[in-house]
Amino acid sequence: MVNFISIDDGRAVGQEVHDPHPHRNQLANPSNPCESIPFSLTPTSPLQSTSVPPSSRSPRLNWSEQIDTGSSIYSHVLLSISKDSTMANTIRLYLTCIRNTLEAAMCLQNFPCQEVERHNKPEVELNTSPELIMNPVLICRNEAEKCLIETSINSIRISMKVKQADELENILAKKFLRFLSMRAEAFQVLRRKPVQGYDISFLITNYHCEEMHKHKLIDFIVQFMEDIDKEISELKLSVNTRGRLVATEFLKQFI
Amino acid sequence: MAAVAVHQFAECITCHAWSPDQSMVAFCPNNSEVHIYKLFGEKWEKMHVLSKHDQIVCGIDWSLKSNKLVTVSHDRNSYVWSQEGTEWVPTLVILRLNRAALCVQWSPKENKFAVGSGAKSICICYYEQENNWWVSKLIRKKHESSVTNVAWHPDNILLATTSTDGKCRVFSTYIKGVDSKESESSSSDLKFGEQIAQLDLSVTWAFGVRWSPSGSILAYAGHNSMIHFIDDVKSNPSAQSIPLRDLPLRDLLFLSDRVVVGVGFDCNPMIFTADDTGLWSFTKFLDQRKAAPSSSRGSQLSEAFGKLYGTSKQVPSNDTVEPSKPRGGAHENCITCIVPLWKRGNTTLCRFSTSGLDGKVVIWELDIPK
Repeated sequence: MVNFISIDDGRAVGQEVHDPHPHRNQLANPSNPCESIPFSLTPTSPLQSTSVPPSSRSPRLNWSEQIDTGSSIYSHVLLSISKDSTMANTIRLYLTCIRNTLEAAMCLQNFPCQEVERHNKPEVELNTSPELIMNPVLICRNEAEKCLIETSINSIRISMKVKQADELENILAKKFLRFLSMRAEAFQVLRRKPVQGYDISFLITNYHCEEMHKHKLIDFIVQFMEDIDKEISELKLSVNTRGRLVATEFLKQFI
Repeated sequence: MAAVAVHQFAECITCHAWSPDQSMVAFCPNNSEVHIYKLFGEKWEKMHVLSKHDQIVCGIDWSLKSNKLVTVSHDRNSYVWSQEGTEWVPTLVILRLNRAALCVQWSPKENKFAVGSGAKSICICYYEQENNWWVSKLIRKKHESSVTNVAWHPDNILLATTSTDGKCRVFSTYIKGVDSKESESSSSDLKFGEQIAQLDLSVTWAFGVRWSPSGSILAYAGHNSMIHFIDDVKSNPSAQSIPLRDLPLRDLLFLSDRVVVGVGFDCNPMIFTADDTGLWSFTKFLDQRKAAPSSSRGSQLSEAFGKLYGTSKQVPSNDTVEPSKPRGGAHENCITCIVPLWKRGNTTLCRFSTSGLDGKVVIWELDIPK
């Protein structure tokens, strides 16, 4: 059984993150639902657990079918594109949803390791104490683009899969993101290797939240997501332009 | 009803405590030292630096009557500091912990203190006169995860703890020779380490447990943005859970039996009051915020951002995701610690101080009716 959240109120997503139980009772003070949100899976009221057939693309969903309170029950949010709204509209909703989830999820504090004395490790990476890790939240824009947010008491891991429409975009995305990941030291919050099944991952710990402002960190992540798409489109455009120029020059000799 | 004073001491403050006369403040600037500052007129000056710990000092408590400072750290150690002349002399406390200590609090009579730890146990330490050192008794195997906060009941015997397994437990910490036997409590309760109650109200981690001044109400915060109030824990517990609008709380303080202040990730203290029937509700935020910028300014911002990143504006400007605005207010980052400031002769508490990850200590004053 998969939990479904509808995003009338960004805080709805936030509260889901903190609750390991699959059945939530009342929402606190839902205010100002956004008007004309073009998504819903069922026409009934939100926060009902609907049985959605598990997606074949994410094998972990099958594992989470066994309802084990405390660990990973995926909250699957799908944005369906209505006929009225434009394509550009959904990216705003997607990013707003991610921003609101991050605002709720990025409540980190210094927490010494329970397993090893005198050590302080990011619990989301350590993964040994299930009570310290929250439910992961998966926010999907469509089948190709999604964002996985895993939180724990002292760290949060954000993994993204960027849109890759064709082979060329695939190669460009892989090379570009690998270039960034190798320079993860400079970014501080970037993870050197993306999580399995995703293109790039961020690891934010309580130390980052102490040094930097939380809202600035969230701004950075959301801006990064926006920029990645633009960068890859630009790269693709320049590759195609260059290819065309080279081909024109080469074939001129045969005219 | 606002922030009386704001002091920026460091980049980031883990915890703080005030001296009995409130002229000195001891805090940990997110490293292994404890800095003590004294107020000279208008300026704060660093008086002492206590550096005995190896890792970050996560708990400081200053006893009001005996003027002793107790510090606990992630390096599993604890020291009791007493002021001799101008120097602070540390006394090692044998905690017998094998994981980090997370919190500490002096008991109301200041003959004992409790330490919560990542070893899923609590240490109750008391002073042994014959050997001239502090000895600890452990309450083991009762918690399933790290103990995040401890709170003493005014009777000096009951101790409430919160843990990352989401439960709040109340224990008896009666120690023969240290505590005098009260005639009213039953003998079964007096066993050391006896669990009086276990509260399962929170599904996520619990923080910030406190008893009301009379000892009849227990309150703690859950990480799912809820605050729980339990009346009459020992005999007939009745609970109320209030969901919060925004982010979760980290610490609580009872100003009276009817008023509670909660602080947390919102960077703004929240007031909760109980009405005559005992029903708790959220009253208000303490900090007056600057007004949010109007939507027209917001769209200008987004246009500027669009030009900065070279996008061709096909979408209308009010559709752009706006960057988050800074909140304004006294604290800029999460508030982690709230400490009462008792006024001499006053029975109701109306002053308290908060410290947070932004390195500020802010003193608040509130006038409570009645």
